[in-house]
Amino acid sequence: MDNIAGQNQGNRVLVNITMLILVLLWLLPSVGLLVSSFRDRDQIANSGWWMSPFTVDLNFRARSNSDDVVEQNGIFVIEGNVFTDPSVASRFPDGEGAIGAFGPTARDLDAFAPGTTAEMPRGGTLTVEADGSYRIESDEPIDRGPAIFFQALTPPSFTLDNYRTVLFADGMDRAFINTLTVAIPATIIPILIAAFAAYALAWMDFPGRGLLIAAVVGLLVVPLQLALVPLLNLHTSIGIGQSFLGIWLAHTGFGLPLAVYLLRNYMVGLPRDIIESAKVDGATDFQVFVRIILPLSFPALASFAIFQFLWTWNDLLVAKVFLPSGAASQVMTVKIADDLLGSRGGDWGILATAAFVSIAVPLAVFFTMQRYLVRGLLAGSVK
Amino acid sequence: MPPVIQGIITIIIGVGGCVGYFFASNWILDNVIYPAKGPKAGHNINRANQVRPWLFLFPAMFALGLYLAYPVVGSFIRSLFDRSGANFIGLGNYIDLFSESTFRTAVRNNLLWVLVVPAMSTFIGLVVAQLSDRLSWGNIAKSLIFMPMAISFVGASLIWRFVYAPDADLGIINSIRDSLGMSVLDPLQVRFWNNFFLMFILVWIQTGFAMVILSAALRGIPEETIEAAIIDGANPFQVFFKIKVPQIMGTIVVVWTTITILVLKVFDIVYTMTGGNFGTHILPSYMMTYMFRDDGRATAVAFVIMILVLPVMIWNIRQARKEMR
Amino acid sequence: MKSKLYAGVATLALVSGGAMAQDLVIEPGTDGFNWESFEAFADAHDFSGEELTITGPWTGEDGRMVNNVMAYFAEATGATVEYSGSDSFEQDIVIAIQAGSAPNLAVFPQPGLAADMAARGALAPLGQDTADWMVENYAAGQSWVDLGSFAGEDGEEEMFGFFYKVDVKSLVWYSPDNFLDMGYEIPESMEELLDLSQMIVDDGGTPWCIGLGSGAATGWPATDWVEDIMLRLHEPELYDQWITNELPFNAPEVVEAIETFGTFVRSEGWAAGGPEASATTDFRDSPAGLFQFPPDCYMHKQASFIPTFFPDGSEYGVDYDFFYFPSFDEKDLGDPVMGAGTQFAITNDSDAARGLIEFFKTPIAHEVWMAQSGFLTPHTGVNLDTFSSDAFRAMNEILLDATTFRFDASDVMPGEIGAGAFWTGMVDFTTEGDAQAVADAIQARWDAMR
Repeated sequence: MDNIAGQNQGNRVLVNITMLILVLLWLLPSVGLLVSSFRDRDQIANSGWWMSPFTVDLNFRARSNSDDVVEQNGIFVIEGNVFTDPSVASRFPDGEGAIGAFGPTARDLDAFAPGTTAEMPRGGTLTVEADGSYRIESDEPIDRGPAIFFQALTPPSFTLDNYRTVLFADGMDRAFINTLTVAIPATIIPILIAAFAAYALAWMDFPGRGLLIAAVVGLLVVPLQLALVPLLNLHTSIGIGQSFLGIWLAHTGFGLPLAVYLLRNYMVGLPRDIIESAKVDGATDFQVFVRIILPLSFPALASFAIFQFLWTWNDLLVAKVFLPSGAASQVMTVKIADDLLGSRGGDWGILATAAFVSIAVPLAVFFTMQRYLVRGLLAGSVK
Repeated sequence: MPPVIQGIITIIIGVGGCVGYFFASNWILDNVIYPAKGPKAGHNINRANQVRPWLFLFPAMFALGLYLAYPVVGSFIRSLFDRSGANFIGLGNYIDLFSESTFRTAVRNNLLWVLVVPAMSTFIGLVVAQLSDRLSWGNIAKSLIFMPMAISFVGASLIWRFVYAPDADLGIINSIRDSLGMSVLDPLQVRFWNNFFLMFILVWIQTGFAMVILSAALRGIPEETIEAAIIDGANPFQVFFKIKVPQIMGTIVVVWTTITILVLKVFDIVYTMTGGNFGTHILPSYMMTYMFRDDGRATAVAFVIMILVLPVMIWNIRQARKEMR
Repeated sequence: MKSKLYAGVATLALVSGGAMAQDLVIEPGTDGFNWESFEAFADAHDFSGEELTITGPWTGEDGRMVNNVMAYFAEATGATVEYSGSDSFEQDIVIAIQAGSAPNLAVFPQPGLAADMAARGALAPLGQDTADWMVENYAAGQSWVDLGSFAGEDGEEEMFGFFYKVDVKSLVWYSPDNFLDMGYEIPESMEELLDLSQMIVDDGGTPWCIGLGSGAATGWPATDWVEDIMLRLHEPELYDQWITNELPFNAPEVVEAIETFGTFVRSEGWAAGGPEASATTDFRDSPAGLFQFPPDCYMHKQASFIPTFFPDGSEYGVDYDFFYFPSFDEKDLGDPVMGAGTQFAITNDSDAARGLIEFFKTPIAHEVWMAQSGFLTPHTGVNLDTFSSDAFRAMNEILLDATTFRFDASDVMPGEIGAGAFWTGMVDFTTEGDAQAVADAIQARWDAMR
């Protein structure tokens, strides 16, 4: 259909532009997060992430020290350089920079050009040169070193500190292991259980089969929230309580309908002759299942596995209810939501980094297994 | 014991137990209860084959019954009792709920979510699927649009906070407004429309799913039908809407339903973005305000969600039965 | 090469951070601390091999500091202590108790929640001895005992909670530099504070930074405002009746308090970013406005713990200072102080858990945290010189000198109100401004609970 004469060129440009806009729209939010994860708290608060590759004017404060006062001809003088102030050291590591403007108070911080002299509110004068060296003069003794506010061109800078904080936060390694401990069995167990059930529903004859399939489809839509309260009570009364066993069972139960449904649809589509000829050769159902059905169903198994793995990895709600809240069993989503977000609520850099750390594994799984996902899903949904 | 080893051991036990059940139960059936040898071998094989489906099905049925069917019944019964669980109050919880304006807002919002999110995700997914087929960089585009699927709802909320932040230095929307000379505003506090801003986050996540399935379905359309249409003089729009879309209608409906089911379960986005403030509650997030405080109310809300899902469920069952025939 | 070496050392330090947390932050024997109480406690208690689990609301810095205190308990008794903090502690502890997997001790920031748990029979009473000890050794001891006493499962009133770590909430933070630059004076009365706010607006500045955001608990900072104002508008008795709903939430007195808060947050130009921004700005983020150049605002009302969230390296007296949130001159209600505190309660009884409560009776358990940050205590036996800064010493004095002390009302109200409807109601009021409607809605929720 692409060879419609005449319209082709204009269409192609239009299609390219539309797609470009859509892709940008989809990508931009994540890029913002990624860039922010390499910036520190002040940078994020003071300039947008889209400004991060550029040199920008930022506001700073340096504090003169009253210990440095020298008396010259009856007037009291402090001299120094604003860029050597420890509080700005992280942005001007060489102790050098270029002053854009300065002021003696925070309110008129950009009122004076470098090289000019400003009156200070509590008496005395302040002069700041373009290279940051300053001179404070006063007739009175100075007992409290005045602050100097200035604007300076700040080169772009990125930091790995956020990643260091998040990755080496107490218990993050533990949380990572815990997440794996939850996600791997909670992915494999339902697949095993569902595969057997799906085979029975697809290829075995027994009374009530249709009813069971309808029931599975019906349960597909049961909202998870409905189950939390009664199930936690049930777990408690039979002694499982909050534990890894409990969360595996819960994830298994919640993931089963989709698993059975997907796998049955896939297995029904497998060629009948293979199965029947195997049976004629004397294979039992168990042998047919293990030797023929399982290998042939690999795409469907893989696609469900990806789904279930992403779901259990990213889950917050089930983990909060079915796992104890202590550090020993915290998973990453809980660790991030309850520990990092709580203690660093305003620290966007940390939040951004935490988000990226938590999506790294799902993304990797996702991109490596992508092709199976499509094949498996298609068999399940396209008839 | 280091956590790594502990984790591995628990994984082995969990998975091993499962494999063990299937292997052992079949072995016992074939070798102990109905051994396929001796004088009654043929009879035994038949008997074993009658029992085997249930061996295969038992764990799944048990888990489904316990984890999904039982809670539906259990929750309904619990929702008829008061907060302590001791006193039967009939439909009291439901009556109280419907008299609360926040609840009614949540129901309205939930209906909006159910209508808008699946529609938008499927539509954008379909458009991307169609357009990307014609591009040299189509696969890259698809991967990028697919990527949000892998991101947790909590992560996605964080990402979108950077878009919506009411600060011209943090939020890109407000930075654009600022540069156009408009005042800073918090998109999440714009009454009514804030719901759509929240919905868009889920659309952003789900479009990739719709796109992948629909793109594969589009490729499965026989070339002849399209070529015939082109020869008849159809333009690309007509080809797309009159020839292609009808042929993949079945897939579109499946994608639509799957996303609808998901929408009814998602609470994280609202919970982390607005906490239900500013008139953005949906039923699952509203339920969280009662959970483990007043279980009677919480289960009543859950049951209202269930009722909302019911049409989808019935439709799904009928669809499945049709396929069976 | 050299920089590589440094990087390696830095990584090593970070990796070993977990182990270092268990080291003692203050060398035993350091001057000023009450080491005799530590020695005596260590001699009397031995829980070698026992494990003690604690959950609480402290995460991040606070979590690190409580672990530092626990290290002394572990050192003295040989027990291993595992503390884990959660931002949604209130939910987690209820779920854990329902599931029967409660830790040994839980740290309740809200007496209301602890009372609920006590009524379910989830807490173990601490006994009359402990209550008697507290009456004698805590300033205003009886009132702390009362706040920690609830009706148990059998309806009997007993002491279940041991207060450890107290906050003073009636504080306003400011930057002395900015006040000096503009020539502003510390207000001595609420009238002066209101005048000062208007003056700042007239000077082209913004007086207040207010941030109500706190994840699922968004809105609580506003409840502190309303409570503090309530204590300054009306008799403390009315405040007590408000907590028990004897005074309905939509009574004119309460609506007046909400509206007075509205003056601060909703008046044109009074709150940085306006009411919309105030409603969503994270409370940990909002004091940052004080430290911007030029400042986004001049004052920030928050409890004594807030310096933990000030920019790194901020110094008390130089970069920031505080004053008491003043009372109305015309009302003549004295100088009321509103505060809050966390109480330890035993959720899973064991000898070591009892031992930890005993440990909190020693001065050293308080001094170790006083020497860190953000900790106030009504314990009268501690050496006030161990406070890490004058700021905390001064705040502790405000706490001990109060003519009227009242506990944070929202923490004492039933959870659904104090940790639910009141929070969301305040967010609604901040953005919409209809105090009466908000109060009516909260009262309706309260009515529905019966």
